[in-house]
Amino acid sequence: MSNEVKTKEKVDMDPKYIITLTVTLFITCVIVAGLLGLVNGVTAGPIAEINLQKTQEAMLAVVADPDNTTFSESPLENTQAMTDAASAAGGTLGDIYEVQVNGEAGGYAVTVSASGSQGTIEMMVGVDASGAVTGVSVINHSETSGIGTKVVGNEPTASGVGVLDQFVGKSAADGTLTVGTNVDAITGATVSTRGITTGVNAALAAVGAIG
Amino acid sequence: MKLRKQFMEGLITNNPVLVQVIGMCSTMAITTSLFNGVGMGVAVTVILTLSNIIIAAIRKIIPDKIRIAMFIVVIAGFVTCVDLLIQAFVPALSESLGVFIPLIVVNCIILGRAEAFSYKNGVVASFWDGIFQGIGYTAVLVVMCVIREFLGAGTFGGGILNGGDGIQILPEQFPMGMLTLPVGGFLVLACLIAAMQWALSKSKNKEESK
Repeated sequence: MSNEVKTKEKVDMDPKYIITLTVTLFITCVIVAGLLGLVNGVTAGPIAEINLQKTQEAMLAVVADPDNTTFSESPLENTQAMTDAASAAGGTLGDIYEVQVNGEAGGYAVTVSASGSQGTIEMMVGVDASGAVTGVSVINHSETSGIGTKVVGNEPTASGVGVLDQFVGKSAADGTLTVGTNVDAITGATVSTRGITTGVNAALAAVGAIG
Repeated sequence: MKLRKQFMEGLITNNPVLVQVIGMCSTMAITTSLFNGVGMGVAVTVILTLSNIIIAAIRKIIPDKIRIAMFIVVIAGFVTCVDLLIQAFVPALSESLGVFIPLIVVNCIILGRAEAFSYKNGVVASFWDGIFQGIGYTAVLVVMCVIREFLGAGTFGGGILNGGDGIQILPEQFPMGMLTLPVGGFLVLACLIAAMQWALSKSKNKEESK
């Protein structure tokens, strides 16, 4: 008998009240979702444009001779071998654009992402026809402001070379790049530097797997 | 008269950062250059004011049992809107603040003010509360930014003045880079809170002795 009373006390919430709760929350969510859709409609265009522009700028920043370089209109089709090679090196392969220097094939611009300290770092790695890195630049990241952003901003490491510039000239022949052995990190931003290094390794691996 | 009291509360006597000690995470993380501080302050003020207005307007129909969930839905909606708008129209700010804009959702100032103020007060009062609390937050951010930037990098106005580099005041070799790291944030914030408490208790004593 007493058990029954106890159970009843537990379910003292009126079913109607529960429905009111659910409906109120549901309606609020629907309104907010509608509002978000509206804002997304307004901002989707400019954001896509900014990202496209960033990609273009990033590609120009990573080639040796920006004035005489053009890029293929559309990215290469990523084969399974390329994607696998990039993931084996710890990164995720994005688009690969062919680079033409003075109209001749001059290597690739590879978008690749790898995890940094706060999230994924998306970067562009230029690789010339001989398989050496021509430049690295960051497209998107969420590294800590004032710390990880030093890496993104290509600030010099202890050796005086920009943290992104030090990758120039490295190729698959140098073996796997590792922070501490053949890559210098920015003090306090080792994890961000590691992210970039992983990305470069993945880009080199992916290029190595092309055709 | 009441407005003046609210203004003083937001800025000084009930300052969100220095007295209520909420919103610490963003305060510590982003106050490395003036541009970050102002941008973050404005973003939080806008979101706080909007969410305060909406929550005050619908406070009578929010069931008590699910109020926190309702607050979060409203706040998250506004934060996402502001995040998208910043990405589209102020890309430099979105680049430098990074993940801290989406993280405004969990900034306790906004949830804290929803629970402590706008859930119990009218729309107009909540609007002013949002503005003044936002100004109080921004003011602390700006002070932190100026101190940390000056001592940590030797510059003033980083990200805004002098083409984004800021004006170099101290010679390059002088600044202590440590202050721009998280540990510097703790130190500067601790000093500010101590100074604030000292000033508050002093003015309190004065009133009592009258």
